[in-house]
Amino acid sequence: MGSDISYGDFVREATIQQKQISYDLVTPRPEYDEEGKEIPHSPQKFQLRGIDIYRLLSPYISVRLKSQIKAVVPLALYLIFFQLVILRQSVLDHWTITAGLLAVIIGLMIFMEGLKLGLMPFAEIIGDHLPKKSSLKLVLFIAFLLGIGVTFAEPAIGALQAVGSIVDIVKAPYLYTLLNDWTDQLILVVGIGVGLAAMLGTMRFLHGWSLKPMIYLTLIPALGLTTYCMTDDELAKIIGLAWDCGAVTTGPVTVPLVLALGIGIASAAGKGSSSLSGFGIVTLASLFPIIGVMMLAIYISSTVSVESIIQAAQAVSTVSQTAVPWYEQTPIAEIILGTRAIVPLVIFLFFVLKVIIREDLHDAGIVTYGLTLSVVGMILFSIGLSYGLAKLGSQSGSFVPSAFAQIENVQNSPLYSYSIGISVALLFASVLGFGATLAEPALNALGETVESLTNGAFKKSTLMYAVSVGVGIGITIGVVKIIYNIPLAYILIPAYTVAVMLTAISSEEFVDVAWDSAGVTTGPITVPLVLAMGLGFGNAIDTIEGFGILSMASICPILSVLITGIIITARIKRIKRNSEEKTKIAGVVAA
Amino acid sequence: MSKRKITVLKNVALITCIVQRGLGDEIFKAAREAGAQGATINFARGTGVRERLGILGVAVEVEKEVISIVVSTEQVERVFEKMFIAGNLDTPGMGLMYITPLEKAATYIPPEILEKLEGADD
Repeated sequence: MGSDISYGDFVREATIQQKQISYDLVTPRPEYDEEGKEIPHSPQKFQLRGIDIYRLLSPYISVRLKSQIKAVVPLALYLIFFQLVILRQSVLDHWTITAGLLAVIIGLMIFMEGLKLGLMPFAEIIGDHLPKKSSLKLVLFIAFLLGIGVTFAEPAIGALQAVGSIVDIVKAPYLYTLLNDWTDQLILVVGIGVGLAAMLGTMRFLHGWSLKPMIYLTLIPALGLTTYCMTDDELAKIIGLAWDCGAVTTGPVTVPLVLALGIGIASAAGKGSSSLSGFGIVTLASLFPIIGVMMLAIYISSTVSVESIIQAAQAVSTVSQTAVPWYEQTPIAEIILGTRAIVPLVIFLFFVLKVIIREDLHDAGIVTYGLTLSVVGMILFSIGLSYGLAKLGSQSGSFVPSAFAQIENVQNSPLYSYSIGISVALLFASVLGFGATLAEPALNALGETVESLTNGAFKKSTLMYAVSVGVGIGITIGVVKIIYNIPLAYILIPAYTVAVMLTAISSEEFVDVAWDSAGVTTGPITVPLVLAMGLGFGNAIDTIEGFGILSMASICPILSVLITGIIITARIKRIKRNSEEKTKIAGVVAA
Repeated sequence: MSKRKITVLKNVALITCIVQRGLGDEIFKAAREAGAQGATINFARGTGVRERLGILGVAVEVEKEVISIVVSTEQVERVFEKMFIAGNLDTPGMGLMYITPLEKAATYIPPEILEKLEGADD
């Protein structure tokens, strides 16, 4: 056997032509200075040819571009297809919208890369070092401030401002003033909510608290305030906004940054890494802002009267008709917005890093590059948000009702008989919700985590379908709410009551997953689209406000995942019982 | 109890290929089409080339995938070449691959193949 020449060796010698060089010729020789000490070798920079740069950059860009295209393009195509084919309406301003969507894709791509290279290293270093160098109180305080900072940096938050102008001031004055005159305070209370959630979530990391009592304790004031707002005609109109804010906050900046900090703190304390303890922050971060926004609205209603808001707005509108100041024009306004979103967060993180924990960044150059990218990406994204996503969403939202109702801008509306038209509108909403959620990259990631954490009991596809079906149903219910003008509280209160009851009988892991899945699904593309669609829809059929769809899209997946979890637990129990019986029988037989 | 038989494979080689995270699938696809049976993928972190690329270093992911493929010595060169081309390893920062000779390997071998080979030996 040994003396034979193997066929492999033969093939190698005969067919493959390789140029071989010795690695010895390539590696550097040690160099010595005058005293005979060895000089540490420092590698030279590569001289890159044009083709190398191209080959280096093309996969880098195409991978990142593709993931954003995958998230944006199918959704936009669906909306445009629906508008063209089912509603037979041409897309208005299609060039602006295309350019806007392009800006969204590129902006998000740049922003996500910037987030990874620029902001994440900060959060990781701070999470690692902070607990070792300072007291728990300070750590929690910094977690709180970070929560506020990341809220301002969240791209989806800009959607609130972008859709604010669609609200009709006379019909819902408090809603209008919240979204136009009090936006900064609105984002601040949302931020405080996220900050508190970050604090509590960190405490949960450290002490391994159960999520269940936290959910109960947060829902009591949230539902209580909702009931209180219901009693006031004017306040009732902001309930939708308040509950939608919860869904808006938990986006691609908040979740990873706050989690990185929390996990760092927990592992530094020698605790944590209990498989599912990373969950829960997202839930709290989407529940606390709801309470905050309602409290802000109640405060405004007690200090400002309805008449003064309308008067002030009319005064502004007469002024602004003459000339829009230069700093409120595109792209200056977006540049200011983008810078204002990121820079304070960075200064804060830098301050914590330098002054409190006195650490240096590795790769300062790359971090600077990342931060620049995140600012540039944010600016591009905000431009695209108002010209692409919000415009497209509100347009299709305002055309969809033409399927069943008479709409001014649409000839021969209603296009279909009432019952068919309503079904068309609802089908549109449910497919939109289902498809958009299934395409959300965050859901895919959550699915993978959950599958590995539950040892495969909760399959990735099961979770993804459970959540997507939930969101589809949720958006449909939200649309029904707008069409028939059902007060949101009538749906929210029973839905959350059921959710609490299901929570009580579910096991801890499924509770964590279910409540978090709601926050995860509403990303930077779905949020503005759905918000704008709801408002456009509401305006077209003359309802007071079109908020509430997102909040429905949050609660329904919670319910669907909880129910799936209960079914899975029951099935596992049954299988176990069966196998136990079998072993018993086997034991008897063997005896 | 009967003695268990182990069939050991000779003439095996290991190809290890280190590339940026996410690019491994493409490379394994090429290897599979060239006849490789399976791959083990480890996650790792790498350093060195980023620093030498200057600002373009950001295009190189720090997180790596280490793809290990066991092949026969007959196919090793072919698989190696296909993987090299699929991974564009002649581009700076794209990765490194090498072949290690293996003494023996053992795994599941489909019984019909075993029978066929034993028949041929006898």
